[in-house]
Amino acid sequence: MSREPFSTPSNFSGRFTPSSARANAIKRDSLVAELERDPQMSSAKRQQRTQAFTSHMAHASLERQLVAAHTARTELETKLKEKDALIERLEGDRRWLAEREKEEREEKEQERAERAEEKRKLDNDIRSLRSSLLSLREEHADIQDEHAALSRSTSQTITAQKSQISTLTRQVSLLEAELADFKRIAEERSRSFEELQSQLDEVSAANESFVQKDAEEENWAIVREELHRQAEYMRKLETSNAKMTTELGSLREKQTSVEVLKEQKRDLERKLQGYEELREKAVRLEAELQAARREREEWASRNTEPSTPSKTPVSVTQSLSALRLTHARLLEEHGSSLALLRQREAELADSENRGREIQDALGEMEHKLRSLKDKLNRTERDKILADREVSFLQAMLASYTAEESAKEGSKVDEASIERIQQLEGLLADYKAIVDQLEKELEDIGGDPAALGNLRSREDLMQELENEKAASAETQKALQEAEATNEKHLEQIEELEQTLFELRGEIGTGRHLPPGVRVLTMKDNPAQQWFDLSQAAIDRLKSENQALMRRLKELEESGMRGGEGVPNAEELVPRASWEVVNKEKTELQELVRQKEKRLLRLQQVFQAKSAEFREAIASILGVKLAFYPNGQVRVTSQYDLNAAFVFQPTGAGEEMQMQLVAQGDGGPESLPQLLRYWVEQEQCIPGFLASITLECYEKSKMEKERGYGA
Amino acid sequence: MPTKQAPTRQAITLKGSTNLVTEFFKYAANTILFQRGVYPADDFHMVKKYGQTVLVTQDLALENYLDKILKQVNKWLLTGSVTQLVLAIISKDSRTSLERWVFDINLVEQPSGESEAAPAKPEAEIQAEIRNILKQIVSTVTFLPVIDEPTVFNILAYTSESADVPADEWVDTDPLAIEAGKSQQVKLRSFSTDVHRIEAMVAYRYDG
Repeated sequence: MSREPFSTPSNFSGRFTPSSARANAIKRDSLVAELERDPQMSSAKRQQRTQAFTSHMAHASLERQLVAAHTARTELETKLKEKDALIERLEGDRRWLAEREKEEREEKEQERAERAEEKRKLDNDIRSLRSSLLSLREEHADIQDEHAALSRSTSQTITAQKSQISTLTRQVSLLEAELADFKRIAEERSRSFEELQSQLDEVSAANESFVQKDAEEENWAIVREELHRQAEYMRKLETSNAKMTTELGSLREKQTSVEVLKEQKRDLERKLQGYEELREKAVRLEAELQAARREREEWASRNTEPSTPSKTPVSVTQSLSALRLTHARLLEEHGSSLALLRQREAELADSENRGREIQDALGEMEHKLRSLKDKLNRTERDKILADREVSFLQAMLASYTAEESAKEGSKVDEASIERIQQLEGLLADYKAIVDQLEKELEDIGGDPAALGNLRSREDLMQELENEKAASAETQKALQEAEATNEKHLEQIEELEQTLFELRGEIGTGRHLPPGVRVLTMKDNPAQQWFDLSQAAIDRLKSENQALMRRLKELEESGMRGGEGVPNAEELVPRASWEVVNKEKTELQELVRQKEKRLLRLQQVFQAKSAEFREAIASILGVKLAFYPNGQVRVTSQYDLNAAFVFQPTGAGEEMQMQLVAQGDGGPESLPQLLRYWVEQEQCIPGFLASITLECYEKSKMEKERGYGA
Repeated sequence: MPTKQAPTRQAITLKGSTNLVTEFFKYAANTILFQRGVYPADDFHMVKKYGQTVLVTQDLALENYLDKILKQVNKWLLTGSVTQLVLAIISKDSRTSLERWVFDINLVEQPSGESEAAPAKPEAEIQAEIRNILKQIVSTVTFLPVIDEPTVFNILAYTSESADVPADEWVDTDPLAIEAGKSQQVKLRSFSTDVHRIEAMVAYRYDG
């Protein structure tokens, strides 16, 4: 800022003085002239002269003006020319620009058409895509339906098959139970048989043991009887054996006769073959006979002719008759041999029949023989057993006799005899049962097929097989169904995946289902925020613009002249000022709020501290006063003169109080208390407590004294 | 197919279901706004709901906004014209969508004919389902990308073309889609009343 632009009143006055002085000088000249010459003449002449001068001056000035005008004209003309040229150039430019514009317009038009075309195409695309989406969705729905139907059907079939399986298994179990039953029956039977056997064994053992035990008391008679019986049995067996051997002999004889018959038959057959030959011979002879007859007839016809009756010689007729005779004889022979043949044939058939019969009988006999042989074996075994028994009994008998001889006159216990008899009876019964069972066994033939229920059992087996096959089939079907089910499940999974992806597409908002509008509230937080930021930007922009404008103005004024820019730096754009103002009011509001809060807090704090002090006073009997420098004055409630001031010492957590001053009052024992509590024990609370006690007692005493007075 | 008493009865259940769904949206939106830090945590206070504590905003403006939306959504639910509600979380600076919490609203197919004897779903069961969804929303914080920029949210309603729209309050808008190829989505639990079935999902921007 230089000092030059500033102007002062003194400057102004200085500028104006010379002009006024000049005016005064001109006036003085004319006054001088009037004083010298005659006023009238001189005035006219002067007037004329002045007029001539003025005219001359005017002329000159006019000429000058003319010249100036000329020059101006030429100048203007040249300027005009320049302008014309400029105009022409501009015209050319304009034309060129117009052309460009036209071109541009054309281009724009073209482009617009292209855009429209593109847009239409895109619209079409969108439409087709939407339709395809729709169709896809329908397809998807269809597939879902189908899938649901399939899963339903598969589940149905599965349940059906499961039920089938369960029924089959039930049947199987039933059958197994039946089978078990049958087995059990068989086992029972065998067990009963074994039981019987064991009983038998037991009984025999018991018998043996009994016999052994009661060997001394056994009766001779019983043993003899037994022996007798055994012998009888043996005899019986021997007789039956003999019978059977005789039978066998007769059967063998029969067999030989059968052989003879067979031989005869063969013989007859051979003879029959001989007869066949004879028959052939007979046939041949017949043929010969026939030929001879024909010959004879020929001959006869020849003989009938009268002309040649004697042509045939006698020898011929003779031979003819002889031939006839032989023929008749042969015929006879043939008949007899035929009869014989028939007879033989009948005989042969008969013998054949007989042979067959004999063979049958032979088979039967053989069968019988086998069974008899078996029986014989058994009886032989029995016999051996009996022999052994006999020998045993004999040994026993010997020992018994020995004992008998040893001690004479010993009595035989009646009861034991009875018992033995009973046991014998029992044994006989068991033997009978065993026989019966053996017979039964024989009848059955040891074949399990004779167990009665054979047929049904086979049937059952068959059924069982069938059931198993059926069950296997159903199992297979079930597996198939499960496989298809699995496939369906996979399909479901895939579909769900695609569904999820499509959902995601919609969820991320990239796809808008047709026929759906997306709406939002006009006044939503996002919009608010964006509006707010927009407003802030707008405000800043306007402020900026205002500032720019201001800056330009300043620059312009600065260029116009270094001066005449009064109060420039004091001017602030209104927008900025408003912003600042608003900020200021906001801040003021904030300050007010804070102050209010602070005040509230102070009030609260004061109330609380008063409460605290009162509490301390009523509980501890001392009044506390906190000084700003951190010192605390403690005054006893009972003696207001007993006051102490403490000062906090020691930085950090463990704050210690130091007694720094004390009031002039207090109990008489104060120095002692001080020495003891503060100096020795260094326990301020104890000190204060004892002070309180002392003061309380003192005040109480004073009160009493007051009442007394 | 409806007998004389059927409509009234259905209307009642529809209304009850609608109220339930609307209430669920309120708490779900609050939970999302709290969990995703769209509003400062101090703005929320705890409320006992569905047998658990739920955080609900105390911001009056936000409360008003949610109330207005839910009132309208309630109306739409009654007419069955809203198919989806989306809570979109948008970055304040870049204005890109970061997350879209999608709630599909499906009408449960009523068993046609007389076989409407299907027993009503007990309220306790529905509440348990809602509780599970809210818990799942809370747990999504574990896998959603951390948001470390200021965000703002918006609620979009997908309605049918024929829906009744109050013209001065609601406007058509763009769906605030998340950029393709940078989005991932996670399906959340769902819950159903006798009338509605709500399926929740969150799609989020993830520049992996």
